[in-house]
Amino acid sequence: MTIVLLLVGAIRAIYYTPVEQTMGPIQKIFYLHLPVAICTFFACLTSFIASVGYLSQKRRFFDDLAEASAKMAVILCTIVLATGMIWGKSAWGQWWTWSPRLTFSLVLWLLYVVYLMIRASIESGNRRGTVAAVYGIIAFLDVPLVFLSVRLMPDMHPNAITLEPSMKLTLAICAVPVVLAAAGLAHVCYTLNARRNGGESHGFEVIRRPSMLAGNGGQS
Amino acid sequence: MTGSLAQLRTLVEKDLRIEARSRQTLGLIIVLGILIIVVLGLGLGAQNNIPGYYATAVLWVAYLFAGVLCFEKTMAVERVDGVLSALLMAPIDRGVIYLAKLLSNLALMLAVALVVTPAGMLFFGFDLSAAPGAFVTVIGLSLIGFAAVGTLFSALVSSSRLQGGLLAMMIFPITLPLVITSTQLLIGAFRDGTPIVSTGLGVLAAFDVIFLTTSWLVFEWVLEP
Repeated sequence: MTIVLLLVGAIRAIYYTPVEQTMGPIQKIFYLHLPVAICTFFACLTSFIASVGYLSQKRRFFDDLAEASAKMAVILCTIVLATGMIWGKSAWGQWWTWSPRLTFSLVLWLLYVVYLMIRASIESGNRRGTVAAVYGIIAFLDVPLVFLSVRLMPDMHPNAITLEPSMKLTLAICAVPVVLAAAGLAHVCYTLNARRNGGESHGFEVIRRPSMLAGNGGQS
Repeated sequence: MTGSLAQLRTLVEKDLRIEARSRQTLGLIIVLGILIIVVLGLGLGAQNNIPGYYATAVLWVAYLFAGVLCFEKTMAVERVDGVLSALLMAPIDRGVIYLAKLLSNLALMLAVALVVTPAGMLFFGFDLSAAPGAFVTVIGLSLIGFAAVGTLFSALVSSSRLQGGLLAMMIFPITLPLVITSTQLLIGAFRDGTPIVSTGLGVLAAFDVIFLTTSWLVFEWVLEP
């Protein structure tokens, strides 16, 4: 159903929406750019809430949810950056400028890519959960600061835009499948995590435990 | 309250005394900072036509790398002979442990900044006379925030016996707002002559407050023997 809606949105955007005056057809990438950008933010928010939940309750559910939403944040932010760069190339004549919004998206992307890297490099399940949760909280608290700090830089990205009614409708139609796709993918990621970690805690960890204890004893 | 202060003083004194006697961290990070400035100076400045305000970005690179090494080292001291386990068993609030570590790190970072900053200015011909007070304020506020984040993550990473490099990867993206704000402010002040705006200082101060508070709150879960 999501795919059908995505197709409907694409067709609507391509055929039935007026072409923007100054930028021409390239402006249509906007119908993907904005909803995905908004979804990125909600993915980060979910990751933050799940991280807080994990630190306070130590339940596996929150850890898996945090990882799934961080993955989604990275994927969505990559799409935002890619569509933004294509759009920027045709609208401003450059792939990349160090303008505030672009820098902001790039830093956001870096923050959450690092989150996934941290998870990938820690083996022990509980320790990984704690480290990742602390990092997830700090990373999300960093986001408004990045936003404030980049406002000191010179700007060319539009802040407020006025849209034709039919453009608004297209935007809404495109936003629905984007949200559905993001939520669906997040759910798939979560299920995968839950199954993998569930397996780990039943069979894998029991075997590993003696060696970990030995390692600890040697260290401290 | 006075008890906590006394504990704090004891812990900071312990760290600084170890450092004063072994001198293994400070020399290392100062030399590293100077090396970074020389390398970047050779890469950028050998043409002799780069503007002095480049120094702000170069100084940040030096602070970042020296800082990561400093945080790693000061936390590694705690792992020798099981000091950390003893510390956790002692009747001290975890927040006090965090603050003590933060103050020791800050003292070391200030020592580094005192040597590396003049070196950077010398090599890049950076003229401080336009706004010396603003420069000190901006760098000072940034270093506090940097040390707050660094102390938290060094404790986090050190407890989990991870491979090196992870600490740098955690700290660099988190400190980017500090880097952006302070370089923008300083370039504005020294190139364009615009006075330091209060919103900029506000961002730096907000960074410090947010990360000091959060670190204090989550430090409870971070330390593991």
